[in-house]
Amino acid sequence: MALFTRTTKNLILKIDEFFDNIELGLLVFREAIKAYLEKDMAAFARHLQKVDALEGNADNLQMSIENEMITHSILPQHREEVSKLLEELDEIIDSIKRSLYELNIELPYIPSSLNKDLISLTETSANAGEELIPAARAYFKAPYTVREKLLKVYYFEKETDKIGHDTKKRVFQEIKDIDLAQKAHLRYIIHHIENISDQAQKAADLLAGMAIKIVM
Amino acid sequence: MILFFLTSGLFLGWSLGANDAANVFGSAVGSKMVTFRKAAIIASAAVIIGAVIQGAGGSDTLGKLGSVNAIGGSFTLSLAAALSVYMMTRFSLPVSTTQAIVGAIIGWNLFTGNRTDPATLSKIVITWISGPALGALFAILLFILLIAFKKRSGMHLIRFESVIRSGLIIVGAFGAYSLGANNIANVMGVFVPVFKLQDIDLGIISLSSDQQLFLFGGIAIALGILTYSKKVMETVGTNIFELSSESAMVVVLAQALVMFIFSSSGLSSLFVKIGLPPIPMVPVSSTQIIVGCVLGIGLYKGARNINFKLLGEIALGWLATPVIAGLFAYFSLFFMKNIFSVNVGYSIAEGTVIQEPSSITTATDLSAIMRYLLLGIIIAGFLTIAFFYFLERKKKRELRLSEEKFWKNLK
Repeated sequence: MALFTRTTKNLILKIDEFFDNIELGLLVFREAIKAYLEKDMAAFARHLQKVDALEGNADNLQMSIENEMITHSILPQHREEVSKLLEELDEIIDSIKRSLYELNIELPYIPSSLNKDLISLTETSANAGEELIPAARAYFKAPYTVREKLLKVYYFEKETDKIGHDTKKRVFQEIKDIDLAQKAHLRYIIHHIENISDQAQKAADLLAGMAIKIVM
Repeated sequence: MILFFLTSGLFLGWSLGANDAANVFGSAVGSKMVTFRKAAIIASAAVIIGAVIQGAGGSDTLGKLGSVNAIGGSFTLSLAAALSVYMMTRFSLPVSTTQAIVGAIIGWNLFTGNRTDPATLSKIVITWISGPALGALFAILLFILLIAFKKRSGMHLIRFESVIRSGLIIVGAFGAYSLGANNIANVMGVFVPVFKLQDIDLGIISLSSDQQLFLFGGIAIALGILTYSKKVMETVGTNIFELSSESAMVVVLAQALVMFIFSSSGLSSLFVKIGLPPIPMVPVSSTQIIVGCVLGIGLYKGARNINFKLLGEIALGWLATPVIAGLFAYFSLFFMKNIFSVNVGYSIAEGTVIQEPSSITTATDLSAIMRYLLLGIIIAGFLTIAFFYFLERKKKRELRLSEEKFWKNLK
């Protein structure tokens, strides 16, 4: 029993740490995009390194949590869903890492007139991800409150879509000083930023179902 | 020969262990919250303790229904009940050992010309209805309490589950204890009037003749659990009752409480002391109570997922089991008496003082066997616990080493 209590405590700590990693990853993502737009490449590289470390740690934690749940037969009835949720959340930080690496490699040209739009897009997309974390934490502590927390995720995801749509429209219809290849490249970057909120929505859908099941 | 006559009771005990232990630990094992090995060891020990300590009440009531006065009769009744249970199980009909033995006793009464006491019979039949109803009520109340506790405590899901896991083990042990206390009457009740053994004094505890019989029966139930209940437990846990872990705990606790109530003479005396009617000491069907409990939770949750077909089958089993067992017992007694010339009992005229039946035994050799058996059980119990303890330790150590190696290589 003592061993089981210790395992339980460790597992709870690991799950919390995993959520912290995702939350931090989203914060660093905002900072990294801002740094890139301000052309502060040293800060961008530092943030990239930080995201790299957070993503690696999240992967290890995810693996370790799943491992412990199987080994000690913890949450046998919800294990599969919890594992899937961790996977979806991990996908958010994976997307962040991928997006930042692509910025780092491709170094797209972003006209300064687009900075405000891209910052707004990044903020809203990251907000969707950030609002998901309290809902995911609530699944373990107060499942009755999960669905109301998820409303914000859906709201920010829709906002992201709108901002993304308007930004792309501006890129192709209003900005005249860049060529078509650069415009296409920008569209690709916008998609990457939007992908964070899409991923958050995917995880939110899963979480909403899980919450109903556990409350029933 | 005496031991041979006991075999039918032991067979009934074995089948009860194989089938009914699933009602206690099925949900926990099926949902993989508790390993089968752990469940089987705990259930076996608790069943034996319950049978020996608290098994007398139900046996007395069955004795009042029909005081079997020949060992051949006891053997035949037990066999008829066991075969009825086996047959109905083969045809996948829900069956209760309790109802089978009651039917068989009535069959014996009819065959030997003894009167079936309507007061005792109605007391027993009422519990077949009140047992599941009480189970449903307890399940609803306990479920409400547990959910309120879960909401208020704000406990982490994993910690809550660890509490539920411990709860399932404790409640399962209580359930197995109550199963032993209540259902031992089905297994050994018919042998009680015809068996008188010497008391065994072990220093710390002494076992009366009835308790020695209950110990025998308890061991048979435990063997049924250890050898044959795994598949039933896994089936119960995954197919019939798809319950969440907390519902499973509530169901088992409600069932255990009902069975405990119907076998606790202390509680019955307490009721009488405070001016309430006494609780009937009656063996009740664990399967039917658990169905009542699940139904209770189903009703509380909105009654949409209730399997009415299953309920219909249970109602059919309620009627069919005592009738089939009674007929089976009647014809078996006829064959035993007329073909094998075995004394299966005689009619007792009303108002006569019941004499000690001819087949009562005070055999010292059986008492000696019991003494050695007890010693053997205690030693085997210790050895089993030690074996599994070291096995578990070894497994955990190997697991830890492999984990350490894995993470080291990953880094």
